Formats: sequence, C-alpha cells, structure tokens
Amino acid sequence: MTLRQGVDATGTEAAGLDNVIEVGGLRQRYGDFEAVRGVSFTVPRGEIFALLGTNGAGKTTTMEVLEGFTPATDGTVRVLGLDPIRHRRELRLRVGIMLQEGGFLGDLTVAETVDLWKGLSEDGGRPVTLSGTTTLPGSFNLMGRVRGVDRRTMGALELVGLESKARTKVRQLSGGQKRKLDLALAVLSAPEVLFLDEPTTGMDPEARRTTWKVIENLRAGGTTVLLTTHYLEEAERLASRLAIMHEGRIHTYGTVEEVVAGSGDTVAFRLAGVTWSFGDLPSLDGTVPTLTYAGGGTEVTYTLTGGRAEARAHAALRPLLKWADERGETLERLAVRRGTLEDAFMRVVGEVR
Amino acid sequence: MRRAGSVGESGAIREERTAAVAADTADTANTAQEKWGAIMRTDVLHAVRLARLDLTLVFRNTTVLFTVLLLPLLMAWLFTQVQGGAEISGVPSTLYVLTGVPGLMLGFAVFTNLVNTFTARREELVLKRLRGGQPSSVAVLGGSALGALALFLGQVALLVIWINRSDGVLPANVPLLVLAAVLGVVLFGLFAAAFSGITPNAELAQVTVLPVILLMMVGAPVAFSVDMLPGPLGTVATLLPVTPVVTIMRTAFLGQDHFSGSGEALGMAGQWVAALPSLGILLAWIAVAALLARWLFRWEPRHG
Repeated sequence: MTLRQGVDATGTEAAGLDNVIEVGGLRQRYGDFEAVRGVSFTVPRGEIFALLGTNGAGKTTTMEVLEGFTPATDGTVRVLGLDPIRHRRELRLRVGIMLQEGGFLGDLTVAETVDLWKGLSEDGGRPVTLSGTTTLPGSFNLMGRVRGVDRRTMGALELVGLESKARTKVRQLSGGQKRKLDLALAVLSAPEVLFLDEPTTGMDPEARRTTWKVIENLRAGGTTVLLTTHYLEEAERLASRLAIMHEGRIHTYGTVEEVVAGSGDTVAFRLAGVTWSFGDLPSLDGTVPTLTYAGGGTEVTYTLTGGRAEARAHAALRPLLKWADERGETLERLAVRRGTLEDAFMRVVGEVR
Repeated sequence: MRRAGSVGESGAIREERTAAVAADTADTANTAQEKWGAIMRTDVLHAVRLARLDLTLVFRNTTVLFTVLLLPLLMAWLFTQVQGGAEISGVPSTLYVLTGVPGLMLGFAVFTNLVNTFTARREELVLKRLRGGQPSSVAVLGGSALGALALFLGQVALLVIWINRSDGVLPANVPLLVLAAVLGVVLFGLFAAAFSGITPNAELAQVTVLPVILLMMVGAPVAFSVDMLPGPLGTVATLLPVTPVVTIMRTAFLGQDHFSGSGEALGMAGQWVAALPSLGILLAWIAVAALLARWLFRWEPRHG
C-alpha cells in the first residue's frame, strides 16, 4: 500500500503526497461563461471534503476537471499527485467516480451492470474483494440463459441495499435506486479517491443513511472523498472540511466548526413597549442589535460574530443581563442560538445577491 | 485469486519500476516495453468485454436485430431478384450480386449500427461513464468496433453458406477476405464515430446515416461492375470508400480479378498483387475517416 501511495507514475518518489487532491487557481470557461473563477483547495488523505453551493455554483464543473473529463482553462489540478488528463490511465484504477446522473445501459439488469464493472476492474488488475452473504443461481427462461449472480456482485448490492433488485432491468429502477447502483459501481474496486457528485439526491431518508454509512466506512478504510451536495445536513454529518461555493468562487472554507462559527450566534429577546431605539440598548462586543416592532413590543436580535466562538454567547449575556437588572426590564423569551451551517450558507448566498 | 500475486497492472509496473530504480541498473527500455504490454493487454481485455456486451445488447433489441442482421440479407435477396442479366464480368449474376452483398452489410451491421450506438450512448451519458471508469477511450471505441466486426463476420459466414448452397462455390482466398472485412469495419467504424458527432440524438441517427446508406446502395459495385458505368461516374464509383472493400472481397471470394472487371482467374499471389491499389485507396480513406472522427466525435452531449 505504501508502495502504491509513495511512488508516482513516473517512478520517482513523490514527496508530501499527504494532499490527495490539490486544486490551485482553477478557472473553467465554456465559451463566454466562466463557470469556475479561481478556486483553490486541498484534501488530505483519508478526509471527506464537501463542496456546497447553489445550482450553477461551479461544483460539478470543478469535479469534472478533477475527474479528467475536461481540461482546466487555467490553474493546476492534481489527484494523487497526478494530472487527471495526462495520467488518466494511472488514475483510472485508483479513482472511483459517481456522476450526477445517468450513464446506465437500461437493457442490462442490475447484477449484469455490476458484473460488467467488476469485469472491467479485474481486467485492469484491480480485483473486487467484496463478498456477499448470498448468491443467485443461473437458470433458463424463454429469453435464453440467465446468468447466476456470485457473492462478490451480491456483496456490492448488499452494501448499498439493492440485493432484492439484482434481476431487475436498470431502466425500471427509481431515481434513488439508480443512485444506489451508481454508488455500488463507484466503490466496487476499493478506490483510493472517491468523487461523489450529489450522491443522495432522490434517495429516501433510510437510503440516505445507508449511503452515509458506506461513505463513512470507506473513509475509515483510508479512502479520500470529495463530495458535492445540496443537503447541508449531509455535509455536516460527513465532511471534516467543506467549502461553500457561489458563482464560481469559494466564499467560505474550513472545518465544519470553523464555518459554523463564522456564521455567528444569535441572542434574541423581546422588550415591552415600542419606544426602544438603538441608543437605548447596549452594544455587545461591538455588535448593535436589529429591532423589530410588533404587537406592542420590540423584538431585539444580536448576531455575534466576534471573539472566540465557544465563549462569545456567554460573554455577551453578562453585560446584557446587567443592563436589564439596572433598568428593571425583563428580557422576555430570551433565546441564545448557535449558528448553523444553514446560516453560513444563506449568508454566502445572500451576501453576493 | 485468479490473478494471485499480481498487485494489478499498475501496481506490478510500479513494483517493477521501483526495483529497477533501486538497483540503478534499470533496463528502462525493457520496463517501458512491459508497461506498454500491460496497458495493451488491459485495453484488449476491456475491448473484448465491451464487444461481448454490445453483442448481448444487439440480441436483446429486436429492432436493432432486424435492421442490423435481417435487412441486409433481405436486400441481398431483393438485389438478386432484380438483377435480370445472365452474367456480369463473366460471373452468373446471382453469384456476382451475392459476393458484393458485404458492401451492403457494412452499411447496416457496421455503419448504421455504430452511429446509433455511439449517439445513443453519448446522449445517455454511457460513454462518459465508461470513460470515467476503467476502460480507456481506445478500449471503449475499439470494443464497439470489435462487436460490429463479429456481427459482420457472422453475416459473411452466413453468406458463404448461402453461396455454397446456391452456387457450390467456396471462398478462394480467406485471408484476403478477412483482411478486407477488418479494414472495412475499421473504416466504417471511424465514419460512424464521425457521423455520431453530427447526429444530435438517437432518433435522428436514421436521418444522418441515410445519405451514406443510399450512396453505398447505389454507388457500390454490388449489382454491376464499376467499368460498366460511363467515364467520370465509373471513376467516382471506384473512389467511393465502400468500393475497394467490395472488389477485394469479391476477388478473394471468386479467385478472379474483379478490380478491372475482366473477371479473369488469378492465383493466390496474383490476387494479393491485384488487390494492392484497392488496399491503398482503403488505407487512404481510413486516414481521412480517422481525422474526421477525431474532429467530430464527442464523448458527452453538448453543454446547454
């Protein structure tokens, strides 16, 4: 394993292969439209990195450059220290790709599709080691011979919970089932790097959890994963680090904690009466509140972004309570809420708009 | 455990290479050769696997099965019925037409079939997925061409049986026959790749292949010899890409010179020598078709 990792395709020792994915100043233009406008990030070995963003943010384009489908217009891109286009042959064996959609032969059954991929992988010298608990026997029917399904193919199907569909034609699968099959194919040959483009879109909540488990298990086995997703919960659950993309740029980047911390905590309460103005209220760590007058009261909201994320809400409450005591006011319905990934996401999308 | 001991193609190469570097007595030429050997082996295995897949899918699709396999045989029969004359270039007309039928089969089993396959698979993102998976571009395209070659050779074999039953003739020069078949499949496989690039979707494939099919039906010397056509038309017919395939295959089948239309008997060596100009035309067309394919073929649907 160290041999495979430590030596690049040209046979020379590649120092510092700790970053399995490296993207530097990536730009991607289609005609007049610049889909990616200078994106840089790295993914260390064995980490799950999530690219978040709205539709058209440039996530898929970034993935396609890394997967070797399109050459970068500008910038550098390395996967396992190799150029995705020039070293396509070397990378093919070590990389698993789950495309956003489609690409199946509808006339094949699910088991046949896995068999095909398994065979292609073995032809290249990458044996499939999965092993299922059951097999399906071969048989004959009016259309001719029906091939049996072996343990390894069943293993791949069991992994994603598709074993009951082994004999179903791919064109008859639902969207979520196709995503499961897609995942099975992507992980079949135990790739070192896995690209997952919206892996759980169209899946029911249970299937989504299964998928997460598969991805987490792979990561535990040392696989490096780059995934794009619309589901913030998914990124929060899986990713060690993430980037929020918008209009071809990365706006926020870091560990989930860092990104969430950047989105700020909120302190909200209500004061009786509608005569309150900014001047009457204390500034908390330099933050002025927003005021909304409703139903004979004033809704006050502070968004705290300064200071240490762990301590800032606590630090803000002391002067606030002191102010209330001195004034003899009650902070009605006082609520302190931690920032969420959604806050961070909406801030990026909102800011640019 | 079938491949026990081999870390896999790339792993094995790397192991090999590291050892070579460490020993510092690297026989680099030898290693490079082994590397290319392993790559080619993988490509061939992939191509064979994909060719088998293509054949499976053809036999699962009744429409394709009809157009690809039955239609040319049906047309062969039709051509033999329409052809009134007793002899062409000294050959009974039925036999003459039947030995020219591979030209039609090339149009259906290879060209139309592959334009359909390439276009449909591109639009359904199958080509993209395959290329993003284990097989190389060469293996993906080569696999489909290999599948088409198997179909084509199967049809030629059927034709041989047909001719043997009706006229009691067996092919005179099988190697030349097979060579012409292989080159014909390469040529029309490349044309198919190029034409798929200008075909927006699988439904329109029937339309884009039509001009080529018509030209092949009218211009290929299936039911006439090229020198029967007046002046420039004859020259044009001679230069059509399908013509050398038909004339070489007919010559190889009958052991007679059907390049000039004289129909005189030729020995083995004579057949090869007589075939050289046609082989030259064929190779020139293959070069042209390869350039066209390179220019027009697309792996993915157009963006937007």
